Amino acid sequence: MHRSSLTSQHLLSIFLSLAAAALLLLVLPCSLAAQKTALHLDGTPADPFLAASGKPVVLIFLRTDCPISNRYAPLLQQISSRYGAKVALWLVYPSRTSSAEKIRQHEHDYGYKLPALRDPQHALVTQAQVQVTPEAAVFDANHRLLYHGRIDDLYQDSGRARPAATTHELDDAIRAALSGKTPPPNAPGVGCYIADLE
Amino acid sequence: MPAAQQASFNRDIAPILFRYCAPCHRPGEAGPFPLLTYADAKARARQIAALTSKRFMPPWLPEPQELRFADELRLSDEQITLIQKWVEQGAVEGAPADLPPAPQFVPGWQLGRPDEIIEAEKPYTLPASGSDMYWNFIFRTPVDRTRWLKAIEIRPGDKRVVHHANILVDRNQSARRQEAESRAGFPGMELKIESENFDPDSHFLFWKPGTVPKPEPESMSLRLDKDTDLVLNIHLQPSGKPEKIQPNLGLYFTDKPATHFPLLLQMENDKKLDIPAGEKRFLVTDEFTLPVDVDLLAIYPHAHYLGKDLQALATLPDGSAKTLIHIPQWNLNWQAVYHYADPVPLPKGTTISMRYVYDNSSQNLANPNDPPRRVAAGNRSSDEMAHLWLQVLPRTSSNADFDPRMLLQESMARHNLEKNPADFEAHYNLAAMLQARGAQAEAIQNFELALRLRPQDATANNALGAALLAAGRISEAMPYLNAALRAQPDNFDAHYNLASALVSQDKFLEAIEHYRAAVRLHPDDANAEANLGSALAETGQLSEAKLHFRRALRIDPNHKLARENLEQINSDPKNLQQ
Repeated sequence: MHRSSLTSQHLLSIFLSLAAAALLLLVLPCSLAAQKTALHLDGTPADPFLAASGKPVVLIFLRTDCPISNRYAPLLQQISSRYGAKVALWLVYPSRTSSAEKIRQHEHDYGYKLPALRDPQHALVTQAQVQVTPEAAVFDANHRLLYHGRIDDLYQDSGRARPAATTHELDDAIRAALSGKTPPPNAPGVGCYIADLE
Repeated sequence: MPAAQQASFNRDIAPILFRYCAPCHRPGEAGPFPLLTYADAKARARQIAALTSKRFMPPWLPEPQELRFADELRLSDEQITLIQKWVEQGAVEGAPADLPPAPQFVPGWQLGRPDEIIEAEKPYTLPASGSDMYWNFIFRTPVDRTRWLKAIEIRPGDKRVVHHANILVDRNQSARRQEAESRAGFPGMELKIESENFDPDSHFLFWKPGTVPKPEPESMSLRLDKDTDLVLNIHLQPSGKPEKIQPNLGLYFTDKPATHFPLLLQMENDKKLDIPAGEKRFLVTDEFTLPVDVDLLAIYPHAHYLGKDLQALATLPDGSAKTLIHIPQWNLNWQAVYHYADPVPLPKGTTISMRYVYDNSSQNLANPNDPPRRVAAGNRSSDEMAHLWLQVLPRTSSNADFDPRMLLQESMARHNLEKNPADFEAHYNLAAMLQARGAQAEAIQNFELALRLRPQDATANNALGAALLAAGRISEAMPYLNAALRAQPDNFDAHYNLASALVSQDKFLEAIEHYRAAVRLHPDDANAEANLGSALAETGQLSEAKLHFRRALRIDPNHKLARENLEQINSDPKNLQQ
């Protein structure tokens, strides 16, 4: 396709992506066409906050192909066991193209026994203010965002991992949500930028 | 903005990606996601910009220098700036005509189908979590006689989980002793391989992601003997789920034996490694002066997690200096062998110096101890090391009456002893080399010094015993050979040597017991069978003697002693009825 100048090319791509977005919205069931929402793996709209009245909500943002995220699988399973039903913990996959099938396979491969959501429209991503996978967000029982950022400080830089984490932000934030104490300061995660990815 | 100033993927970024990223960032290789197309790059644009500007990717530790390395995976400052610009300008694709052809990769074995493939007998399952792990697989080689290899290709198994791998040539099958269960492999970051004769390692057999194996030049094929084990030492990092690791080795034979013999020299200063907790700049050095002219072919610096700034220099006899390698930000995970683009000539009298700086403070994010602890040298990843390996090709002069490799190794052993008179290996190795060139008395002296350092060591006891035997000092040899067997009852050499000593003292019955043990331990050793036969014959056990001579001849039809003795028994009229 011939493109004569920067301006028309730029507009063309916006037009195309709007068209794609419109198509996507049409495919979704019923009345939520106007509002961004996360989805259960079966495709139905999901609201992790609705299901968790009075409990803190913990969202962990992951990708199936992110080796940093994957390395956390055993730890995340442990954290979930530690807090049990006191918190509502969800794995959230913000990828626009990962299918439910692929996510289920991923959960199986990594031994996750945790509920998962897809967030292709980045509804939860926006609410949680996360930028990178893996990152976590902890909301208190009133669903105020207490903490968002890294799970711990295991990774200093992509690929530069410490032998063991020395800070444990996710764990501290969950305890803060349950006890009302001060949460840890937000600390950015290391990994893949959510905004760029398909 | 004028169109000419805009960076486009097709014109500007694709060439960089195809050359520096795609080799690992493609299906089946080490990268966790592909970087082969515009869509791949656009989806990771900011990540690519961030990691290349920090020079984290592509992974390449050494600073640029005058002595270039082959296959440098390093972006220029201009290339990095271009990537930044592309991302800032919106990461556009550009004109299709600008896109270079997609890179072509060889699927499967990079050097083509190997002549022989050996697979690890038992896989190793890496646990889902934990810190870095090292596992060793022992490969039994499928050769029935000495063969020459032009290459060994390592396929480590899952390339996303294996960080790097190394083959050690174990000509004595000594690593097998470390397996808890036969053929199951064993853990360990660093291992010692025992060697029977002067046979220095000659080639780096190393794999890291992106390694493209290259066949050796024709003149430098690698010798593979019967009964040699290849030990594959693999560095693994947990991925979050259990991973089954089952590596393969591909052997590529050549019928051209080596005519040039490179040598791996190891400089080190482990003894000086005593790093206090919190020390940010702990310096360790070593210097070695070459006793012969060499060409330097490749270099391999090695330290553990506290290593920070590693440097090697060569100061030539004329006073000029060359930087051989400089790594200002060492990362153990990316250790690699660096081959020089062209061999580096280093004349006799060149001093090679190693300067390694270690950081044992809490600011060193790789510090395995939190809080930092005092660290000394050792084999575990939480210990430290200060090693510098050099692959050199000595220049042989036409009138040389010495083996330059032997001279190099001897100089190195003496140098090590100057640094550390309590260096067991250096005494032992020096003794072995002295013995190989016939300097018997000095060899014995050094074996004795080695033994004083490790009185229970089976190998050293046996070696001293054997040296004394060779010097005709039989009664002196016996206690050492017995000590070797007390330490290691299944030591073939000690049984064999002790039996020989007993024979020379006419103690045939005792000798027979030890030859029997030797034969049990090495059922295909013709000498052991033949000597057992001879000892039996001396005690009149002729039919059994004949049995063993025949066994010797089945193993080696040309075995002179077995043939002659068998003929003698058969032709002696007194023995006809037996």
